[in-house]
Amino acid sequence: MEDNAAVQTRVKRSAGPMQSAVQWALLGLVIERPSYGYELAQRFETAYDGMLHLSGISYVYTALDTLQRRGLIEEIPGSRGGRQPKPRYRATTEGVESYKERLTAQIQEDFRRSRLFARQLAVFAHQPEAALEVIERYGDACLEEASHARLPSQQTGPADAISGLAARLVSEESRLSMEAKLPWVEYARNEFRALAASRARRLSRGHESA
Amino acid sequence: MSLLELENVSKRYGRGLKERVALRDVSLEIEAGELVTIWGRRRSGRSTLLRLAAGVEDPDHGVVRLDGRNLAERRCEMLGGDIGLCRKTFSANEGQYVLEHLLVGQLARGISPSQANDRAWEALERTGAGNTARLTPTELDAGELVRVAIARALTLQPRLLLIDEPTIGVDVLARDDILQLLASLAADGLAALSTTGEATALTGARALQLSDGELHGRSTRDLAPVVPLRRMSA
Repeated sequence: MEDNAAVQTRVKRSAGPMQSAVQWALLGLVIERPSYGYELAQRFETAYDGMLHLSGISYVYTALDTLQRRGLIEEIPGSRGGRQPKPRYRATTEGVESYKERLTAQIQEDFRRSRLFARQLAVFAHQPEAALEVIERYGDACLEEASHARLPSQQTGPADAISGLAARLVSEESRLSMEAKLPWVEYARNEFRALAASRARRLSRGHESA
Repeated sequence: MSLLELENVSKRYGRGLKERVALRDVSLEIEAGELVTIWGRRRSGRSTLLRLAAGVEDPDHGVVRLDGRNLAERRCEMLGGDIGLCRKTFSANEGQYVLEHLLVGQLARGISPSQANDRAWEALERTGAGNTARLTPTELDAGELVRVAIARALTLQPRLLLIDEPTIGVDVLARDDILQLLASLAADGLAALSTTGEATALTGARALQLSDGELHGRSTRDLAPVVPLRRMSA
């Protein structure tokens, strides 16, 4: 009979890397504090409000099963006792390590997306007006994001140390990233306006010579 | 009708080669109870915009209205009345202690000393600066200076508050308290217009961007800018 480690290795190989953002987020909540299914669903709604959507509580149990089969969490022995057994889960060392790797990979992915956006915008080098329209929308989105970042003091819900820290980190990350993006919007707008002006001059000269 | 309205406002400084366009065809409406913050870099035109909104300067083109009335025609009645321009400088000629700085403007407008005193304390308490009344402005940190500057403007019971860079030099933790204060003043029905060079100060406000004299973003409270993507020509 296969032991747990063998099952976990087989699951990982057959399933490949875990892609679901919700599963990673649930793993994060278990790392934050050992927990059981129903409580995790409630904490999920509070912690990731507006960032991730949980399709239903049944998904939590499916995700916990997946995380356990991958060896990222484990059931706390003796937590099934009582008339209504509520198995509690804690993160394994591998779970914590995998979570750290995932966070780092996400940062790389964010950088890649930003570079990709800039590169894709450059396709409008010959149609600067189109780029300027996109830039306006991008700028508006940045302003909305900066505007809607919540002040930590406006956070609702129980003010425990972790939720307070999380609120401050989320708010500051969002606001400081806009600190960088707004000047970029200005820069990109100036670049494409210069292109548009140069294009207009060329067209004007063409008309004159014709 | 909006409380403050800038309609197609332009402003230039200098002439000839030294001419600089500070504002280009700027339109903006602010309602009572709204906090609007404009982000811009230095020389983007943000200070000019505040001066025009205060009625301290007139636009070269366009109109600035408060309650539908042209500021250029009724300036004297507005500044220090309906419009409160927060100044973060405190002249020694106006008094030694913070409380005195909050009294002098009121007394100059004929408000009785006892009423002026009540208003000053009320404004200081409202801005969370009650403990600074007996201090001199030089003893205040950056966050306290901003609170006192707002309090001084509030003593004249404005309907529109204008403030330039409310969070500059203020440390990170005190910064959010200042933003919270501005939001709470707006929630009380005051309209507030601030400018900033720090995107972190846009939180909780209708945020706009001023770039090279042009305003970008939502120029009115309710209407998001609709910029339809045009079909590309082949």
